[in-house]
Amino acid sequence: MIILFITIGCLVGVILGVNAPTISYMYTDYLAISIIAALDTVLGGITATLKNNFNFKIFVSGFFVNAILSILLTLLGNKLNVDIYLAAIVVFVGRMFNNLTIIRRFYVEKWENFTKKEETERQKNKK
Amino acid sequence: MKNNLKIQIGIALGLMCLLLTGAIVVQLNTIKEATRIVGTQYAEAGLKEEVIKWKEDYERKYKELEEKQETLETVRKDATKDSGRTKQLQEDLDNTNRLLGLTEVTGSGLILTLSDQDRMKLKETGGDPTQAIVHAEDLIQIINELKNSGAEAISINGQRVISTTAITCSGTIITINGVKVNSPFEIRVIGNYFTLTAIARPGGYLSLMEDGGVKAKLEKQNNIIIPKYSGTITTKYMIHVK
Repeated sequence: MIILFITIGCLVGVILGVNAPTISYMYTDYLAISIIAALDTVLGGITATLKNNFNFKIFVSGFFVNAILSILLTLLGNKLNVDIYLAAIVVFVGRMFNNLTIIRRFYVEKWENFTKKEETERQKNKK
Repeated sequence: MKNNLKIQIGIALGLMCLLLTGAIVVQLNTIKEATRIVGTQYAEAGLKEEVIKWKEDYERKYKELEEKQETLETVRKDATKDSGRTKQLQEDLDNTNRLLGLTEVTGSGLILTLSDQDRMKLKETGGDPTQAIVHAEDLIQIINELKNSGAEAISINGQRVISTTAITCSGTIITINGVKVNSPFEIRVIGNYFTLTAIARPGGYLSLMEDGGVKAKLEKQNNIIIPKYSGTITTKYMIHVK
């Protein structure tokens, strides 16, 4: 169900993106950092779903606040001639890996449980 | 209730993915477009590398040429060792080459160093930036004055000033003998030191330049070495009058 929504979202996004006009090169830095923020949010959302503590408001506000803060940091970095956006990227990517670990563990454990169940059932049948 | 929440999650994640993929595609398109526009700069970088390569090649060839010229010189000397007439001719040739600027010369004179004012200092003093840098016209004027006060040989940053020398402005750089030179300009002059120092007279061109902010340093030296003209002098239209 959720996967269906995600695929539809991705497909529509690609179609919209292809048809959308390109932005000024000046803003690519900011768009890049918001892409990273969105990626982080999506992974965070999936993790929250798996943990059963998904909250729509936290999800949406998290994305916007993170994206806006990182864009502002990038802006400040441009003004100060320091690559501050690297810090935001480090945080986002670090969190992405954390979430990925949780997602991976969840599915690996699920699979292990599944195989265990099968084995016990087989043994039951043998008896 | 459970199903409702699932739909909510699905819509949220779906929208976020829509945003994400849309942004990624826009970003990719923009960068592709930008690199197409900036492509000329890449081409320029390639050309720069090529220029450096050619320059190295040229320098190597030039060294070879110098070696060949030296051997030619020794051969010529050997050949003219005995007979008096050829010796005379050899002397004439040497003299002509010396006057043309085709030989390295040494003698007493002065070294005048002109350099652009530092940008930082210029900001502090608030001077006119265009007056605080050395222009091609300034060099021409200075060279002219030096010649007027009896300079026998002049070089600027290793470029010998001869009869065909042109000093031109090429934007942020000055070209002398077709070679790019940059500040600081070291002008070596051989001649009578006392008359040459007239260049630094109060109210003269050099003092005007200094007023504008250009840094100038004048020093006397007894054995200045001035390099020879590194190009070749070719004539095409000029012929003897019979």
